[in-house]
Amino acid sequence: MVTKALAVGLAALGGGIGIGILGSKAAEATGRNPGAATPILVTSIIFAALIEGLFILAAFAVNYN
Amino acid sequence: MPAAAAGGHQLPLYPESPFEGTMFSWISNSMIMVWLAAVIIILFCRAATKKLSLVPTGVQNFAEWLVESLYNFFENILGTHLVKRTFWFFGATFLLILTVNYLGLIPGVGTIGNTDPVSGHFKGLLRGGNADLNMTAAMSLTFFGLWLYWSFTEIGVKNFFAHIFAPKGEFSGFMKVGMIVMFFVVGFLEVLSILIRPIALSFRLFGNIYGGEQTLEGLMGLVPKWLAFLPAFPFYFMELLVGLVQALVFTLLCAVFVKLMCDHGEEEH
Repeated sequence: MVTKALAVGLAALGGGIGIGILGSKAAEATGRNPGAATPILVTSIIFAALIEGLFILAAFAVNYN
Repeated sequence: MPAAAAGGHQLPLYPESPFEGTMFSWISNSMIMVWLAAVIIILFCRAATKKLSLVPTGVQNFAEWLVESLYNFFENILGTHLVKRTFWFFGATFLLILTVNYLGLIPGVGTIGNTDPVSGHFKGLLRGGNADLNMTAAMSLTFFGLWLYWSFTEIGVKNFFAHIFAPKGEFSGFMKVGMIVMFFVVGFLEVLSILIRPIALSFRLFGNIYGGEQTLEGLMGLVPKWLAFLPAFPFYFMELLVGLVQALVFTLLCAVFVKLMCDHGEEEH
């Protein structure tokens, strides 16, 4: 069905944009303050995980029903 | 990893039992994988602690480095008091997930098995431990139970509910009533987000690992069998990265959730 593929596609689009913005901001922050690279890494991993989690929830929610 | 027999065959969503029909039909192929990983970790720990010496060498040195760096990593997230209580779970979960993920990548995990002559359905003897929702859900629910226990013991039941429902910040007069009602409603949103956590944790780990295995399986089907290894070759390195990151993410999120709820304990001491 189109709606299923469309839903997963949009979820992936959202995830992609989210990770993109997160990555760019993390790179900027590390550039501005290289000393704090590890805490920035930890924070960006946490938020990347939340974004990925949202996408995977959407992908599985669509396929399961 | 993927089945060379029926190239590009669909990795079933649910693990199957190689002992179908016998008394042990409840043992699924991913359970065997997790037991294997557990045995490997236990043997590694025993080897590391066989002859303990002050100046560690060899396996003991590696084991000490591993545990110490994990401990320090979680210490600067959780603070000294909390990490003492909770590190046994986070360290063990991280090692188990990492070992299970990397064991699942060894060639032959999904390929050794028997093809059911009737349906031609291929059933692997082994399957990635985390490519099984039961395993990831089990870990997430265990964590959820532990999280409740740690929160109650750390900040007490009253503070636990105060932390969720009580208004934060000082208000006076009419504003106070409005705030109380508003924060009470926000409390229910907080409860919702707390309940979603184990679901999200288990789906995230399961989705990433199962998706990775599915990609490898699917790619195998694109080329003739004798060339089957080529398209999946680069994805193995991605799987190595995903395995590490997902292990780190799972335990990191668990640590952050514990910190979010139990951190107030320290201020009041």
